[in-house]
Amino acid sequence: MSAFRRGMVSTLPLAPGVIAFGLLYGMMARQVGFQPSEALAMSAVVHAGSAQFVALEMWDTASAATIILTTWVVNLRHLLMGASIAPHLGALPARWKALLALWMSDESYALAITAYEAGHGSAGYFLGANLGVALIWWLSGWAGALLGAAVPDPTRFGLDLVFPLAFLGLLMSFLKDRLHVAVALLAGLLALACAQLLPGKWYVIVAGLVASAAGVCLEELQQR
Amino acid sequence: MSKLWVFLGMAAVTYSTRVTMIVLLGRELPPLVQRWLRYMPAAVLSALIAPAALMAQGRLEWDRQILAFAVGAAVAWRTRNVLATIVAGMAAFYLMGALGL
Repeated sequence: MSAFRRGMVSTLPLAPGVIAFGLLYGMMARQVGFQPSEALAMSAVVHAGSAQFVALEMWDTASAATIILTTWVVNLRHLLMGASIAPHLGALPARWKALLALWMSDESYALAITAYEAGHGSAGYFLGANLGVALIWWLSGWAGALLGAAVPDPTRFGLDLVFPLAFLGLLMSFLKDRLHVAVALLAGLLALACAQLLPGKWYVIVAGLVASAAGVCLEELQQR
Repeated sequence: MSKLWVFLGMAAVTYSTRVTMIVLLGRELPPLVQRWLRYMPAAVLSALIAPAALMAQGRLEWDRQILAFAVGAAVAWRTRNVLATIVAGMAAFYLMGALGL
């Protein structure tokens, strides 16, 4: 199997979660007055699940500038993801990097970085994971808008647990030594604290930056 | 028509967050920064997981999904398998729901 196809196949365990959220997104878009084609257009153009949800929630009450600024803040965590995956893409031409950045999602980032760290990552795999998640997201959002109000609430069925559970499975392969375990625990605690204090998804950025920096400090202390 | 302009604005800021580091950091980085980046995947994944697992309603409180995540964590630790983790966590979640917990 080619790396691209392996990347696409790797997204299948995540499909039920993506589909549930796509359906819910489409349904919400419909309620805000979007046509199914507009719901699909937003997914295809913006391609950022949580930001799209936030935008829909604000659609009737906020200005375009506020919606765009909020989108930026919700997606700032991608700076960290990009920074951590960039060293693996060193030799690629800039055009490839620009393409890989286009459809990077939380889910495909997690799959790709895990593959890279395990030594079987590649641009093809990364692209396949990006496109696998993207296709499911686009189509399920469109389907949700077409179905209208017939979709159940995914939180009632626990489908919103699929992503964090998948991340939990992926996290384990990063816990190579005690320092990584300490960093992960610290990041979790910081995220919990920050999630209560900060708006939106800032907690991912703060906890990600601080806990990983603490890892370097602990490393220094250990070597002394 | 105005919707499309908002979409394009959202797309532009979204893409900027994804592409900046990937294209800028292509070169060799200072060793300290490289070490910092090495810890980031674990930190970011954990930061995505913890609030989702423990703060379902936006605050810290008991919920059956906390137990589902405990089961998921145990399975993840033993198997390091994503699908097994999802299946075990969801099974625990439904089982507790069925038992009325």
